[in-house]
Amino acid sequence: MLRDSPRSRLVLALLVAAAVVLLVLDARPGADPVTSVARAGGELVFAPAAAGVGWAAAPAVTLYDGLREGPRAAARVAELEEANAALEAELQAARIDRNRSDQLDDLLHLSGLGAYEVVPAQAVTRSTARGYAHTVTIDTGTESGVRPDMTVVNGSGLVGRVVEAGPRTATVMLATDVKSAVGARLESTRKIGVVNGGSVPGGPEADLTLELFDMEAPVEAGDRIVTLGSHEGAPFVPGVPIGTVDEVQVAPGALSRIARLTPAVDFASLDVVGVVVAGPDDDPRDSVLPPKPKKPEKSEKPEGEQ
Amino acid sequence: MRSAATLVMVAAAVLAQATIVNRLPFAWGPGPDLVVAAVVAVALTTSPAAAAACGFGAGLAMDLLPPAEHAVGRYALVLCLAAYLVALLRRNTGAPGAVGSRTSGWAAVGATAATALGVGAGYAAVGLLMGDQHMTPAAVGTGVGVGAALTVLVAPLVTLPVLWVRETLADSEFATVQGPMAPGGW
Repeated sequence: MLRDSPRSRLVLALLVAAAVVLLVLDARPGADPVTSVARAGGELVFAPAAAGVGWAAAPAVTLYDGLREGPRAAARVAELEEANAALEAELQAARIDRNRSDQLDDLLHLSGLGAYEVVPAQAVTRSTARGYAHTVTIDTGTESGVRPDMTVVNGSGLVGRVVEAGPRTATVMLATDVKSAVGARLESTRKIGVVNGGSVPGGPEADLTLELFDMEAPVEAGDRIVTLGSHEGAPFVPGVPIGTVDEVQVAPGALSRIARLTPAVDFASLDVVGVVVAGPDDDPRDSVLPPKPKKPEKSEKPEGEQ
Repeated sequence: MRSAATLVMVAAAVLAQATIVNRLPFAWGPGPDLVVAAVVAVALTTSPAAAAACGFGAGLAMDLLPPAEHAVGRYALVLCLAAYLVALLRRNTGAPGAVGSRTSGWAAVGATAATALGVGAGYAAVGLLMGDQHMTPAAVGTGVGVGAALTVLVAPLVTLPVLWVRETLADSEFATVQGPMAPGGW
């Protein structure tokens, strides 16, 4: 049935014989020169072809892997995203905590210097119904001993005073409110005046304005202001830094000298504050003020001597 | 023309098998065998001796191309015999001597399936004879079966185009020849 020409069979026989010879040669232990050379030739062809295919197929391989790993990868992505969000929140919380801790440190420092007894609190809102009044709500109240007309400070200086105290919250009128007036005196010269929130009539545009009663009092930019202290420490305890004189206005015929102040406290970023529930026994004078910024000509003076 | 095209196609099949198919990470082991598919198409349209030579060449190329995990000549021997048998059966059972009788697609795919099974079995048999430790019954069973199934799947993409090209070129070559003509030839 299977007819074939002798020549054809001869060809087949030769080819089979060649294949068997190659098999035997290559299957013997040790490297055979014939098959080694032939394999080297095969590699010569294969290497560039494989490299080319690898280069051309890289996107397809990526796609294939992506498809193969798809469902698992989606789950993994979701898992990682969740972990990432958690870590981010943690990090942010840590940053806020560190920030708060720094502010509390400052507050503790200030209250230690002035011998104030403070109740720490956090400024919850700057809620004002219409945005006219400069008030904040803090998260301590009468349960913590906070009463109206108590001084509120933070690590940098005077924040304001308590005007309303609930069981757990209290409202603080900031020093920058136009209704706020704080008895003040100049550092070192002890001249007294009033720090008003906002501008006074005839004065410059400012957050805080100092009115000095003594027309002859020497006052210049850079002078620092602390609270004078009220009777029995209410509403203001003495010695709390209020601000720095920014610009003195010389108004001919005025009854008082008016100066614009730069507040010691950054009212835009109020966070941790302290309510002074008990003032110091003695006026701390200027001890609460931070060390004076170094003057350029005294720059070689060591830090410790200040 | 016809032989050059055949050479290019078979070489392309060999290279594609070595560089593309062997690169794919099949979880179950064997992939489709493009070389078998191409050689079957050639064997269906040529003389047994030529088919044997074609199978030998393609198999030897596969033996020499990396990975060199088996002895040189093993695949050449199996493919050579397989191609020879396909050509012989085609010559003796198909339309004997009928020039220009086109092979139907189904028949070509069937021939590819049978050849793939036979090549798989023959390759395993040579391995057994040579004491290849990989040739456990389970491995041979899945290797031959799955490999043949996948080869059948790619047959429409490899066997049929090669077949079509070869028959088309034969048609154009022999269109003007009158009278009986010895079939086959490159």
